[in-house]
Amino acid sequence: MRASRYILFMYAAMILTPAALFGYALTGMLGYTGMQLVFQVLLVPFFLAFGILSYIEVYAHRGASVPRSFYKITTTGRRKEQTSRVGNEVMLNIKRFNHDAKHFEESSHSVKVSRFTTVLDALLDIKERQDGTLAMRYSCRMGICGSCAMVVNGKPVLACETSAAKSAVDNRIEVGPMQAHPMLRDLVTDFDDFFGKHSSLDPHLYRKDEKEQWRAKELYKQTHEEVNRFLPYSYCIMCGLCMDACPVVNSNPEFVGPQALSQAYRYHKDSRDQMKGRLTAIDKITGAWGCEFAGACSEVCPKGVDPASAIQLLKAEVFEDSIKTVGKNDA
Amino acid sequence: MESLSYDIVILGSGIAGFTAALHAARSKAKPRIAVISKMHAMRSHSVSAEGGISGVLYPKIKKDTEDLHAYDTIKGSDYLADQDAVEILVKNAPSEIKFFEHIGVPWNRDEKGTVQQRPFGGMSIPRTAFAADKTGFFMMRALYDQALAVENIEIFHEHLATAIVLDKGRFAALPTIDIATGEQRIFRSRACIIATGGFSRVFGFTTTAYSSTGDGTALAYRAGIPLKDMEFVQFHPTALIPSGILITEAARGEGGYLFNAKGERFMERYAKNKMELAPRDIISKAIISEIEKGRGFPDKEYGYSYVHLDLRHLDRRVIDEKLPMIKEITIKMLGIDPGDEPIPVRPAAHFTMGGIHTDIKGRILSQEGRPFGGLWAAGECGCVSVHGANRLGSNSLSQCSVWGRITGEAAADYASKEGRPAESEEIVRKIDEEERRISGILESDGSNNPYEIKKMLNKTMDSRMYVYRRVPEMRKAIAEISRLKKEFNDIYLEDRGRRFNTNLRDVLEIGNLLELAAAVAESAVRRKESRGAHSMVEYPKRDDKHWLKHTLISANEGKIRISYLPVTLGGWKPEERKY
Repeated sequence: MRASRYILFMYAAMILTPAALFGYALTGMLGYTGMQLVFQVLLVPFFLAFGILSYIEVYAHRGASVPRSFYKITTTGRRKEQTSRVGNEVMLNIKRFNHDAKHFEESSHSVKVSRFTTVLDALLDIKERQDGTLAMRYSCRMGICGSCAMVVNGKPVLACETSAAKSAVDNRIEVGPMQAHPMLRDLVTDFDDFFGKHSSLDPHLYRKDEKEQWRAKELYKQTHEEVNRFLPYSYCIMCGLCMDACPVVNSNPEFVGPQALSQAYRYHKDSRDQMKGRLTAIDKITGAWGCEFAGACSEVCPKGVDPASAIQLLKAEVFEDSIKTVGKNDA
Repeated sequence: MESLSYDIVILGSGIAGFTAALHAARSKAKPRIAVISKMHAMRSHSVSAEGGISGVLYPKIKKDTEDLHAYDTIKGSDYLADQDAVEILVKNAPSEIKFFEHIGVPWNRDEKGTVQQRPFGGMSIPRTAFAADKTGFFMMRALYDQALAVENIEIFHEHLATAIVLDKGRFAALPTIDIATGEQRIFRSRACIIATGGFSRVFGFTTTAYSSTGDGTALAYRAGIPLKDMEFVQFHPTALIPSGILITEAARGEGGYLFNAKGERFMERYAKNKMELAPRDIISKAIISEIEKGRGFPDKEYGYSYVHLDLRHLDRRVIDEKLPMIKEITIKMLGIDPGDEPIPVRPAAHFTMGGIHTDIKGRILSQEGRPFGGLWAAGECGCVSVHGANRLGSNSLSQCSVWGRITGEAAADYASKEGRPAESEEIVRKIDEEERRISGILESDGSNNPYEIKKMLNKTMDSRMYVYRRVPEMRKAIAEISRLKKEFNDIYLEDRGRRFNTNLRDVLEIGNLLELAAAVAESAVRRKESRGAHSMVEYPKRDDKHWLKHTLISANEGKIRISYLPVTLGGWKPEERKY
């Protein structure tokens, strides 16, 4: 059964239970005992349905609203920005995962930074001159490959886009790995699960006529309006920061999360796409309905994708599709 | 050591690699394909391509022809391009743009909904299709997402190839390291396509990603495969200082100007007609000439002297819709909004025209011209010789997709007909040797810091092999590189673990860079003329009588062998190059 139907029933039961209760009370006051019996009989399944369904809903979101202190953004950082000067020595405190001992360790390194030095530059400087064992991912150093996602001063960011001088608070920068992904080593996290979630929601443009798609002869047309429906969601660089910030992902690893959902929405809204059934895969408690609209994903996205809005729009699409297809084969 | 068997192995996951994988996967025999990337596959350097992809889309409306595209490309190449290869490029590029449209790339469109094309350097008509200034990124995402839906493609993230094993002139095996675990893993297959991109990281000041270390090219070179035209390294005129991040040519395509410190639009002196839209070699030389004549901005703040790329006269909407990444980058890196302030730029190593010697079908050839069995190269790592001495902007994405498809289909065809390479003692010996070599590196306990060696290499290349080259400087470069190679034999490795050992990865990459830098310098010092990106101070003129030929370099047990190959000419005769 599609999750949207559960939710639909839950809301229906939520409305019908008090209605039945009201009917029961009213008929009782007016003395229509026959009618009252009908309401009494109705009240039991309504109430039970509401109880069970809302339990499922709550269970799916278990622990979701517990805020994680790890992501409390330090507000003092901004005020100190101006005080860091060119050629400053700053201290990088790196929280590193030791895989053999399965715990975090910290190492501190002093690095010279100029106003152009990024946190990635500083980390590479440490790796090349102080500690060759430091492990991290990086590549393009221009914010487009999505490799260097990490947590700097409590905030999930791309290291290559983050100024070291501006990040320094009292000449110190705290650097750590993302926390919602399994750890590999030092600042490196495991992306297998993340990539699996991404590909589970059919994130690709599907055409019925595959031959025509692969031996393209003509260009399709798309109006600006059609392009703008999906373009804002197509900038995702798969860095993993939104997943790291999402409170639901952090508490329930089953939730597919903002990255996969926003990308499913991106392809779904592309007027060139002809896929059917993508919405069915999303219509699960661990799919679009897992989102609690905390908005953290959109706040940390370094490319301005706004997955949170994509998911809410997706919920509406899923509902519409779900109602339209009642009675048809859901498999 | 684990050994995995596939029909086709594709080394590299950029636009060329994934295009090859997709087209090979769809062939009739449905071959099993492994795509191997040393990073997460979707993070290949192709994502950094900005400006667009060239191709004749509207011959009637724009009065554009494939012949004109070919002429522009050949003239841009300073007549070193093989003209039969160029014909393949221009003929196939339009359908590749359409293919990418059909798998989801959001091309910029006009009011009517048709795909727009923008002007680019050296192109006589606007014929560069683009998706804002993130064209490569969008193409990569579309390819990666499409590959996920194909059952017979398996993606191996973070596997670094350490050797190419050949046996009796045929591809046999590809030993790799699984970076996450540190285990060595051998890929065996009927066919292999190398698509590992360029090696601009031999330079320190470069637009390319840290990963652009030309691994596949270096592995091929070490396996005895010749490299072609290695002296031709393109310097992109407008790289942001001090990082070297690319500011796309599209910034000039959309109308940007270049100014020197005197406030002159100096391109007037070098390319009167095309001005800022002359080919890259000409503009890079112009910028360096201006700086050398004291008309650049001094290097007080950034550590580099530079000129200004000015976009202030452009409509802000043009910047927002067509150059959003440039704006994002300059604001994030320098705090400069290109709508308010000019951007400080100077030329940086950007693209390597040279690479693995292939024929026009992408088959890898020996120095004598015999093809190796089951071995192809596609994209920047291969030198199919379509760019000659200087690539035109936006021809690289067309090259990657055109030869991605050609090599993918050819490899699939080969794999369906040929059996598996026969087992031999030679193969076993080479694989064992590779295993021992890696274990040996892990135990390195010498006295040199490998990162210092890399820095010195970068410094040598930046100072002695830059836009203008002088013979004595190049000789010094060769001597320095060979000294660095010796020092590299005595390095220390700090990280001795297996799990996610980036120290080991870096050392292997630095070894590759040293090989390639030597090949660049050795090829360059011998070419006694100025052609395209190779500008000799002592020989300032192009010399078609003696040098209308490709350089081939190969190495055998430390000894290099250089020979030359004539350029394939066609309908376009070499003429003076004026813009």
